[in-house]
Amino acid sequence: MKLQTSSADLLAQVGAAARVASTRSAVQALSGVQVVAADGQAELRATDMEVGLRVPLPATVERDGSVVLPARLLLDVARVLPASDVSLELRPSEGDVEIVSGSARYHVRTLRGEDFPPFPEAGDGSVVRVPADAFVATVRKVERSASKDETRPILTGILVSASGSDLKMVATDSYRLSVKETKLESPLDGEFEANVPARALGELARLAEGADDAELTVARQENQVIFSVGGAVLASRLIDGQFPNYNQLLPDGYEHDLIVDSEEVRAVVRRMSLMAQKNAPLRLRFSEGELTVSAQTPDVGEASESLPVPFAGEAFEIGFNPEFLRDGLESVDSEQAKLRLISPLRPGLIEAADDSGFLYLIMPIRLNV
Amino acid sequence: MPSTAHIIHADLDAFFASVEQRDDTSLRGKPVIVGPGVVMAASYEARAYGIRSAMGGAKARRLCPHAVVVPPRFDAYVRASREVFAIFEDTSPVVEKLSIDEAFLDVRGLEHIKGTPVDIAQRLRREVRERVGLPLSAGVATTKHLAKVLSAAAKPDGLLVVAPGDEREYLRPLPVEKLWGVGPATAERLHRHDLRTVGEIALLSEDDLVAIVGRAAGRRLHALAHNRDPRRVRTGSRRRSFGSQRAMGRGPHRPEKLDAITVSLADRVTRRMRAKGATGRTVVLRLRFEDYTRATRSRTLPRATASSSEVLAALRGLLDAERETIDERGITLLGITVTNLARDDGQLELPLDEPSRAAIDSAVDRVRDRFGTRAMQRGALVRAGDRMAPWLIPGLDGVEPE
Repeated sequence: MKLQTSSADLLAQVGAAARVASTRSAVQALSGVQVVAADGQAELRATDMEVGLRVPLPATVERDGSVVLPARLLLDVARVLPASDVSLELRPSEGDVEIVSGSARYHVRTLRGEDFPPFPEAGDGSVVRVPADAFVATVRKVERSASKDETRPILTGILVSASGSDLKMVATDSYRLSVKETKLESPLDGEFEANVPARALGELARLAEGADDAELTVARQENQVIFSVGGAVLASRLIDGQFPNYNQLLPDGYEHDLIVDSEEVRAVVRRMSLMAQKNAPLRLRFSEGELTVSAQTPDVGEASESLPVPFAGEAFEIGFNPEFLRDGLESVDSEQAKLRLISPLRPGLIEAADDSGFLYLIMPIRLNV
Repeated sequence: MPSTAHIIHADLDAFFASVEQRDDTSLRGKPVIVGPGVVMAASYEARAYGIRSAMGGAKARRLCPHAVVVPPRFDAYVRASREVFAIFEDTSPVVEKLSIDEAFLDVRGLEHIKGTPVDIAQRLRREVRERVGLPLSAGVATTKHLAKVLSAAAKPDGLLVVAPGDEREYLRPLPVEKLWGVGPATAERLHRHDLRTVGEIALLSEDDLVAIVGRAAGRRLHALAHNRDPRRVRTGSRRRSFGSQRAMGRGPHRPEKLDAITVSLADRVTRRMRAKGATGRTVVLRLRFEDYTRATRSRTLPRATASSSEVLAALRGLLDAERETIDERGITLLGITVTNLARDDGQLELPLDEPSRAAIDSAVDRVRDRFGTRAMQRGALVRAGDRMAPWLIPGLDGVEPE
């Protein structure tokens, strides 16, 4: 394998691939990036066996072949190359790749190529084209609610369903639940539903944001889904098992429905959060016409701030994880948000007040524990 | 610098073995090993043959074929430890428990009522001997570190005191291994630079030491070599972690057995955490191999937890990743620690379809509180037999040598 490319392209594409490469697999090759040169084209591949990524590398190929290089190291090298051009050449007898840029010369030992899995083939199944902007915006609305806890695999996914002109995504880590329904401008040419690892969708969103394509494609298969956008192909294993029936989590009714100014509440919450450290909750005290947000951390300090809200009825105080509350408020685009509450130990709901199809259900923190 | 050495480090000698010799007169004067399998404690008579804690059982028997091996009786050790700590608490209001058999006492300001620190240390040793029947060694110094070095040097059944101003003189000829935090790896690095005594280290600048052993260790060693140790004796439960471990004999251990041990350790540790209302974010797996080298692997979770299943899942992931190493090098100890502690934050969960983990944990805790640890076992442990049972005795906090 021998190719010439620009240092900037190498950095950009290795950067994308390295994000997918495994960081803690027993199989060393999975911590690598595979550089493939064939038929005058080059591409980079990486996988951790859950998510796989192929990105094109604009290059002049002088000799076909493929080689696996340590992702982290290759990225570090790509970052510091002195010249605008770089060449990569496999030296089979040395078992390394010579990387030359300007007068800098690296010999990087290769990883075992035979351990690197083949990229998943797009099998049968229909391919659905989806507007990239709408897809990415919907991912960004819900991804923060997906669980990062690998012990609850089902919750690490985002449930994506698309049919007709409706695109819907749902994520929950059991402490909060985000639902975003997006109305598409025109009906899709197919439909699909899948619980896709949030990580895969996050990477897809990054790729789509960096590409100019108006559309991305989705091929839902038996156990995997394959996305493509801007020349990159991202394959992801689907998460087994039944995604929680989130509809039944939404309370039938609420005691309090408050329309508040999104930005005002966001700002207050942001200011007060500074004093809610070390797991301390943010306290929201509702009384006639007023909301007082406060936080207190032992040995650090406390803060409180009030704002007028249209609250009526018996005063009560409810606690929330500050980060979870901020995530919810920041996902509301509309000028006004609807805050719906029942009691200090029941879930609260944050909704966009403009029917933009966003719901954020959040469980409180028991106060005085 | 304080005008008196006011910190006492009190450490029971060969604790488990001493309890056995106390309770069975026929064992007195004989080499006693608390086993079976890996040596959990060795009497001083056994140590004379080169037997040490954590040594493999077979090696110990080779060194001293006529040693008496007795099975551990944790109930007796816990009782003895409580009696000893009651004496510590009577002696000083400031007692910092380090483990089941050692503590720091700060006796500053007690001269008028209890005498000088040396008087107090002598009385402490006498009372533990008379009232509990166990030998206690003590070190008295201006710093925690030196007090601990002294109690180790005083063993067995001794007392060592270094007066303020004499500390560096005392430390100078000691081998570097005596310093806190100098294990085999650090010692090896120092030896490579021909540094063998504390005095030789004390001649180096902090930067030079950092270059040899790394930043954190270098700074600490530099301070300790100059007897700078500002750590105060802290009372109460300022615990920073919950942990438990289990030693095993040599020989191949099937993955199912390792898993069963992991399950029982996770159960035990998280139950103690829940009882204290504590949660932790970082789960640490500790391994010791047949060549006595050790490894620790850790994973930090997205949020603090005291859930058995979450901690267990993290541990299983860590253990899986070490499978090859374990097969190659053999395992003789498996330990877990949950650290990065926080108070349970009271965060409620949405009622998802799956049964709530918190509900399962708390139901199991209630059954065990009421009917005993053995009343309810995991299926995985039933298959492994009840050899695990001693490790699930409630209130065995601190049966964690080291």
